[in-house]
Amino acid sequence: MSKIICSAAIRGARNIVGMAEAKYEEALKKWGPDQKIEFPNTTYYLPIIYGMLGIPVSTLGDVKQVMDKCNELVPAAVSDNVWLPYLAPALEAGMATFFAEEIIEAIRYLEEPDFYTKGEDPLPDNIWLGTADDIILRKRGVEFVDGTAPGFAAILGAAPSNEIAVKIALELQEKNLYVFMCADHEGKTMSEQLIEAGVQIGWPTRLVSFGPSYTAAVFAMGFATRAAMSFGGVQPGDFARNLRYNKDRIFAFAMPLGTVTDEWYANAAGAINWGFPTIADTPIPEILPTGVCTYEHVVSNVPHDKIVARAVEVRGLKVSVTKIDIPMSYGPAFEGERIRKDDLYFECGGGRTLGVELTVSKDMSEVEDGKVEMVGPDLDQVKEGDKLPFAMLIEVAGRQMQSDFEPILERQIHHLVNYVQGIMHIGQRSIMWIRVGKAAVEKGFLLKHLGKVMHAKYHQDFGNIVDKVQVKIYTDEEKVKEVLEQAKRVYKQRDARVEGMTDETEETYYSCTLCQSFAPSHVCVITPERAGMCGAYNWLDCKASFEINPTGPNQPIIKGECTAPVLGQWKGITDFVYKASRQKVEQVSAYSLMNSPMTACGCFECVATILPMCNGIMVVNRDFMGMTPCGMKFTTLAGMVGGGNQTPGFLGVSKYYICSKKFLVAEGGLKRVAWLPKMLKEELAERMKPICEEMGIPNFADMIADETVGTTEEEILPFLEEKGHPALTMDPLM
Amino acid sequence: MAFEVPKVSYTGKIREIPLGREGSTVTVGGESCYSFHLFEGEMPYTPKIAMEVYDSEPEDWSDTALEPFADVIKDPVAWARKCIDTYGAEMIALQLASTDPNDKDISADEAAKITKKVADAVEVPLIVWGCANVEKDTEVLKAVCEVCEGKNLIIGPVVEGNYRAIGAAAIAYKHTVVASTPIDINLAKQLNILLGNLNVPDEKIIIDPSTGALGYGLEYCYSVMERIRMAALVQEDERLQFPIISNLAKEVWKTKEVKVTEAEAPLLGDLGKRGILMEALTAQCVLLAGANILVMRHPEAISLVKQSIKDLMTGK
Repeated sequence: MSKIICSAAIRGARNIVGMAEAKYEEALKKWGPDQKIEFPNTTYYLPIIYGMLGIPVSTLGDVKQVMDKCNELVPAAVSDNVWLPYLAPALEAGMATFFAEEIIEAIRYLEEPDFYTKGEDPLPDNIWLGTADDIILRKRGVEFVDGTAPGFAAILGAAPSNEIAVKIALELQEKNLYVFMCADHEGKTMSEQLIEAGVQIGWPTRLVSFGPSYTAAVFAMGFATRAAMSFGGVQPGDFARNLRYNKDRIFAFAMPLGTVTDEWYANAAGAINWGFPTIADTPIPEILPTGVCTYEHVVSNVPHDKIVARAVEVRGLKVSVTKIDIPMSYGPAFEGERIRKDDLYFECGGGRTLGVELTVSKDMSEVEDGKVEMVGPDLDQVKEGDKLPFAMLIEVAGRQMQSDFEPILERQIHHLVNYVQGIMHIGQRSIMWIRVGKAAVEKGFLLKHLGKVMHAKYHQDFGNIVDKVQVKIYTDEEKVKEVLEQAKRVYKQRDARVEGMTDETEETYYSCTLCQSFAPSHVCVITPERAGMCGAYNWLDCKASFEINPTGPNQPIIKGECTAPVLGQWKGITDFVYKASRQKVEQVSAYSLMNSPMTACGCFECVATILPMCNGIMVVNRDFMGMTPCGMKFTTLAGMVGGGNQTPGFLGVSKYYICSKKFLVAEGGLKRVAWLPKMLKEELAERMKPICEEMGIPNFADMIADETVGTTEEEILPFLEEKGHPALTMDPLM
Repeated sequence: MAFEVPKVSYTGKIREIPLGREGSTVTVGGESCYSFHLFEGEMPYTPKIAMEVYDSEPEDWSDTALEPFADVIKDPVAWARKCIDTYGAEMIALQLASTDPNDKDISADEAAKITKKVADAVEVPLIVWGCANVEKDTEVLKAVCEVCEGKNLIIGPVVEGNYRAIGAAAIAYKHTVVASTPIDINLAKQLNILLGNLNVPDEKIIIDPSTGALGYGLEYCYSVMERIRMAALVQEDERLQFPIISNLAKEVWKTKEVKVTEAEAPLLGDLGKRGILMEALTAQCVLLAGANILVMRHPEAISLVKQSIKDLMTGK
């Protein structure tokens, strides 16, 4: 922590504690130790002292022990020529500052009962509201808990002009934040600036004029401290939980406007205890490493037009977009719409023109949230029947964003664009295809509106991983080509990443218990090389799903020690499945059909089972209606496999898994496969090739029987013998 | 060797939740076995029946349902009193049906006023049920929480879309919430986790896994309730160890079968008995599945179910 800041904070704290001490001595002489002191209408006494220390201060006599605590906390002044770790002393100095300031303010309530209005609104002759009573706390605190007000900005001082003050206040209001104001800069306060500019202040407009002195900052901190006790069930004196509650749930920050005095530093240091960072407009030293606060601690010299955006980012506040501002209706009801030739106004991509869509992540500083850039003609500049090249490049940034999530976000473009009424979207990547209907153009729909849609929906649906979204939409051929080149590079990297990912390289696998509602003991274990049997969730999807919805059905499992590499058994997985299946499944293999096979829900793409006579395995997909060599059709087989039971010899699998290197390793892998429906064999042909080559049997696909060869074991066995199918000479399956 | 009754070994227990205000609380939950399996465990608190009261005169009720309340139908306070004084109601369930934007759409303030009046007039625990419109319920139930501070109302339905707002108000003004989910054990569990994360205390949560009427999907609802109880009692799933409420009366009394006349459908039998029996049977089913609180309408149906509860509890 910056030594300059720490020394200033400690100096400030010493001043403030000294001041409180003097006030206290004076009051004690005048009123005696039995004199009651309080903040009006609260059951939380002096809330910071009560919340942190558990001391209910109700008389002047009670103050003594708090003063002792302050003196114990405040460190000695920092010497110029000794360098020590200063974070802890500065934080303690900050804590003492708040205790002392509460004492100062409480004595003020005693000596000048009418100094504050004690209401929700300022009065004509007094704009200072003072501390919030319990009624205000509950009413407003509810908004902090339910998220309608995510937090507050504690502003000290004043802006350089009334206009800037109004602009900052308005921006904070737009983010639904409360603005708690105190202290002056060169005799001016932000509260007065707002009033002079004709802005209505008070609790109802969320612009709260606490007091003219910096000591009124304790009203903001006291509010936060009480919120934790009132809404978080935190007990008085349990400072650790109280501070953590605030760090995790109250998105507050300090914003000093103007010269940062030693006393302001002391208050800022105190706020860091609560996880509230400081964002200043003056060039004070910065504290950038993450530690107590979620991200940076002190960020300075921020221009006034950027200060709110920067504060929101530093505190990690999420943007909420409620309305999608486009001239068309929007929703899942329009997903299935088709735009046929007669209704068609404009189209792009789909082999008719160049078309590409790409989502990439960038650094926080490179993305301007909400920006939509359009280069090239939009729909108001084209004629009916025109076609143009098209590129949509979505750039996102987020503190929790990972490049692994890019393809998942990109895959959403398809349905999110389709939700727009009058628009049809097909495909993805560089084979995407968009058609815009005549009705949409009549209503004033423009391509740049797609940018607004993507901005809003990424925030709404992926707020946990995305903090900023900007969208570039191009119909200019040169620009489109640029994006296409970039896209090709990105796709290549992504594909390589997925291929390079093996079960050995990752320590964490994921569970999927989405289907437990109808298969209560079923637990899917999803590894990089074994996607969910439904085909809908691969390992990366699960990873993202967990980030987005941490209490959802996809939970990380640390796989732990590998107890049986061929079967695919790990200690961590076994323990997890045992617990998540409610003690029903005691052991599970990721790679075996015969030995503790994975349970299945009911939504598997295919079923694998054994063909005893052929010493092989067959796989049948859901779409194949005919009879299979095991004597059962898919539907009958499905009944054997589903419902969360372990049935050795029967297994639900995804199509993707069939071509995985980990496919039924315990039984010999793909080499064992003796029969597939023709349609499935054709679908998998491309992906099977490299595996067959690796097995040293490049023509292996031709050795697999299908329904044209036969649908009984007797019928296919001669075929397998003739082809020299490897399964025939492998170890017996049973 | 003598025959021994095979017994389920339970590892969990349903939480005991005290409802209503201090001094006159009614506790539900606490069971350490499946419903009425008294040979395997304990049910320290018998299931309770809450009688329905509507915030304004119902317009589409059958005569059978209307008849017992004809004299109080316009006045929720008198209605609630009658349920308690005449029919011995253990709890009241105030249905704020007229807040529905597709119905009378009365304002949140108005609904809160009505609720306050009823709450002031009854000493038994009061359930307050919104119109199941996510946005409107948020507004209405928040206002209700505020004006009835300290009365420990049971507020619902709290759903995924509004649990933060209503949950926060319930914490602030000290009420109990009904976590309501659409017939899905995972969603039920998830909402309980979310409420916990919000800091709603565990002794302030009741769950509503949804109920259909007899013949209208009851069997599916039954299975989900049963599953929830299995998870709670034998599978150590502590986020499902909450008492269950079943808001069944309005499901039963909106079905075609309780309204169609004997002339129109002679096979269905006596119209006067039909609704009562359908309500009693629906209640009986969810009772066996694990419900702790039944929201019911007709006094005769209630008396049938009460008798059945008594018989089951005494092992007769």
